[in-house]
Amino acid sequence: MTSLTVRSAGWRRPIAYLGGAVLLLGGLIVLLPEGIGAFPPEWDVGLGPAVNEVQQWWISNRRDLGVYLYFFDPLSDSIDWLLRAFENLLLAIPWYVHAAGVGLAFGRWLGTPGGVAAGAGMLYFVALGLWEQSVQTFSLMTVAVALAVAIGVPVGILAARSDWVFRGLRPVLDSMQTLPAFVYLIPVLLFFGVARVPSLIATVIYALPPVIRLTNLGIRQVPTESLEAGLMFGSTSGQLLRKVQLPQAVPSILAGVNQTIMMALSIVVIAAMIGAGGLGQEVLLALRHQEVGRAVEAGMAIVLMAVMLDRFSHSLVGQGRMGGAARTQGLQYRNWWVAGGALAAMAIAGWTLGWTDYPTALQFSYAAPIDGAVDWARDNLYQLGNLPVGTGPFSDFLTTYGTRPMRLYLSEEAWPVVVLFFGFVAWWASGKKLLLGSVVGTVVIGLLGMWTLTMDTLSQTVVAVLMAIVIGLPLGVAASRRDWLERGMRPVLDTLQTIPSFCFLVPVVILFNVGRIPGIIASVLYAIPPVIRLTNLGIRSVDSEIVEASESFGVTRRQKLWKIQLPLAMPTVLAGINQTVMLVLAMVVIAGLVGGAGLGLEAVKGLARSDTGLGFEAGASIVILAMILDRITQGWAARFQPPSSDRG
Amino acid sequence: MSRRSTFKASLLLAAFSLVLAACGDDLGDVETIKLAVNPWDGSAVNIAVAAAVLEGEGYTVERVEIDENAQWAAMAAGDLHASLEVWPSGHAENVASYIDGGGGVVNGGELGAVGKIGWWIPTYVVEENPAAGSWQGLQDPATAQVYATAETGDKGQFLIGDPSWVSYEQDIIDNLGLHLEVAYAGSEEALLAAMDSATSRGDPLLFYWWTPHSAFSKFDLTAFELPAYSDECYASGAVDCDYPDDVLFKIMWDGLEEGAPTAFTILSNFSYTNEDQIFMLGKLDEGLSVDEAAAAWMDANESVWQAWIPG
Repeated sequence: MTSLTVRSAGWRRPIAYLGGAVLLLGGLIVLLPEGIGAFPPEWDVGLGPAVNEVQQWWISNRRDLGVYLYFFDPLSDSIDWLLRAFENLLLAIPWYVHAAGVGLAFGRWLGTPGGVAAGAGMLYFVALGLWEQSVQTFSLMTVAVALAVAIGVPVGILAARSDWVFRGLRPVLDSMQTLPAFVYLIPVLLFFGVARVPSLIATVIYALPPVIRLTNLGIRQVPTESLEAGLMFGSTSGQLLRKVQLPQAVPSILAGVNQTIMMALSIVVIAAMIGAGGLGQEVLLALRHQEVGRAVEAGMAIVLMAVMLDRFSHSLVGQGRMGGAARTQGLQYRNWWVAGGALAAMAIAGWTLGWTDYPTALQFSYAAPIDGAVDWARDNLYQLGNLPVGTGPFSDFLTTYGTRPMRLYLSEEAWPVVVLFFGFVAWWASGKKLLLGSVVGTVVIGLLGMWTLTMDTLSQTVVAVLMAIVIGLPLGVAASRRDWLERGMRPVLDTLQTIPSFCFLVPVVILFNVGRIPGIIASVLYAIPPVIRLTNLGIRSVDSEIVEASESFGVTRRQKLWKIQLPLAMPTVLAGINQTVMLVLAMVVIAGLVGGAGLGLEAVKGLARSDTGLGFEAGASIVILAMILDRITQGWAARFQPPSSDRG
Repeated sequence: MSRRSTFKASLLLAAFSLVLAACGDDLGDVETIKLAVNPWDGSAVNIAVAAAVLEGEGYTVERVEIDENAQWAAMAAGDLHASLEVWPSGHAENVASYIDGGGGVVNGGELGAVGKIGWWIPTYVVEENPAAGSWQGLQDPATAQVYATAETGDKGQFLIGDPSWVSYEQDIIDNLGLHLEVAYAGSEEALLAAMDSATSRGDPLLFYWWTPHSAFSKFDLTAFELPAYSDECYASGAVDCDYPDDVLFKIMWDGLEEGAPTAFTILSNFSYTNEDQIFMLGKLDEGLSVDEAAAAWMDANESVWQAWIPG
């Protein structure tokens, strides 16, 4: 029962900390002289204008620059050529040949049901008239992932072999994943032009980190015994890498590739902002035209593509683990030639007969009923009669009592109080190092001239995270008690997590008032799955002996939940909250597109107005804020993690 | 080389030039024309008309969805060939660096339509409260409160659409000392939806809008009074006046004339009136697609667009 006593002490300590914090900050507020408000704007170091001057110089001189003529231009042209060729090749092959081929491939690796399902899945793209867009997105993504692997694996190897490289790389990888893509779209645009190439580059930047991380991890995890054995036989370090380390790291690398595919798919919509086209553009146009049904159709196509690629690459990971055994079966090998021949015959037959298009009579669309439902909701749920009930009054309520007071407080209260408050929370969560980091970080945000906007974004994030916890935690608890509920929720949560974040924005801007609320509602929807999932998981994995022991003492259900299950599940729950915080922040930033004020809107303006400096300042502030929030929530999760001896 | 093969070669050459001649005029090296579609419907219908005409002449047209600022850098690099509706009031800097500064973009002449950006309110707002219809009125916090929302609290809300639109709202508000806060609806359609819901409930709304637009046939709107436009006001850098009349113009990649002379001529000649554009925007409201709206206009106005085609 040692763990139980540790737990109850674990509740008491935070309360003491919190009391201390309130006293300290209260004292500060009283003691600080009047007139210290938001971070002084005159302390802005003016990084933005400097960045813009560089940009301006580049625009006016790039035609005479060798690096542009002999490097960026040819590079961009050849990537463009490659992408178009690939796209045209895929489009030239009739859709049913693709469907049959995909079905066969899935059937080979995932069994007959998987093959049939995948073949039928391919029908979705054609039947909804999204074939060309899907092919475009698919080819952009394939080339992006191939490039990410080509760059990521060598870099990962390098990182695995030198701690120095690894340490230097970590913050870079962190920023690549937290920096909103809006920010680097402009520089990419200037170097590589518009449409396919910059979209590809942006996708690669965003999707690269997992390959690097997991290649590094895979190689580092190779048991030293294998290495020593290799050394004993006199292998050179190159041989060691090729014959021992890389083969053993394959499963990990493939897992990284899988994550990279998912990342690449998740930015197709943002890439459409600079002309990537494809499914992303469908979603973006649907957002602009407020067509929910169209957004859902295209969004589901992206989800479907993600699910298919995920399953497929997962099964490849499995194959990698199994080793070469499966590959050497001669019969299978010969069947491939037969299958390939059949597909080619289908294609040739299709071309000669001119049957390449999907019959328009068989096309279908389910956009209309969705649009109808949203229109109905807009007309009937905005306000019920004269009662203060409905999406409109709810927006106003949340604004008046939630985001607005918090925003005004954070941005108008004396800035040193806010900095110290952050520092205090950081120290409480993880210690002196993070205290220093967060104080420096928040001051840098001020020096970038982004203080007020950051506080705006922070207040939206806090409100959305609180909402996600208030809704998600009870749902997770309920799911942990009822198996049917858990099973029923799983597909819903899966969909919420794979659907492109932009799709959430379309209905919420229609239903809720203009301003920050649509973004907050969308963030809650987008970020709630981890809280629910990990609360459920945490409670379910509480040691059943402890639960049974407590039951023998005759505790009530409520006591069992509050005194035993929740405290013991806390590390897992907090890990879920950490993920939620990061997802909320990402979404609040994207909501800049629909008028969610703060750093997101500023980053969007930076992109839209070619104001790279502004975008850069906003982007850097987002990265700093994200890192501080991430480390704090991770620190909490670690704090609640019982020392392993406890579990005895 | 024997006489026979020379003969064969010249025959081939003759046949080839016949094929070329059959194609009509010389299309040029650039056969795929990339046109910029900016995020508002007026731009989309212009491009749909241009695409139909160019395709009729044998070009392939690629439409690239891109916002009005990003298009300049792309055009300078030759990744985009033309954009047909530039609103000069917001692009002085781009014109200076990309056109006048020899940055790779050329002025493609006027679109023909004349636009006007302004601040607008539903007419019933001024009827109830005349002070709420002019800038002097909104210097008074109590009057500005008419436009307040939960978001803006004690200030009035000024609503604009897409964050990518170049505008001077914040400058005008700051320099005139108006008690307003800018909010973004996100897009043209979202702004229309906001108008729709405000007018259906009779709520006040102050927003950014422009002519030519089909919305004026649906809503009864009145221009909000701002200090009249003057060149000095814009030159001063601290804008505190109304938007000027925007003589909409076209921009093109500076390599287009050489690369695709016919397309260059067609796009240079491309011009129509506000009424033409409003006609097509009205068709969009009726539920037609952009291309259907363009086709409907082209059916009714064949002489207009035929005149753009050279020879």
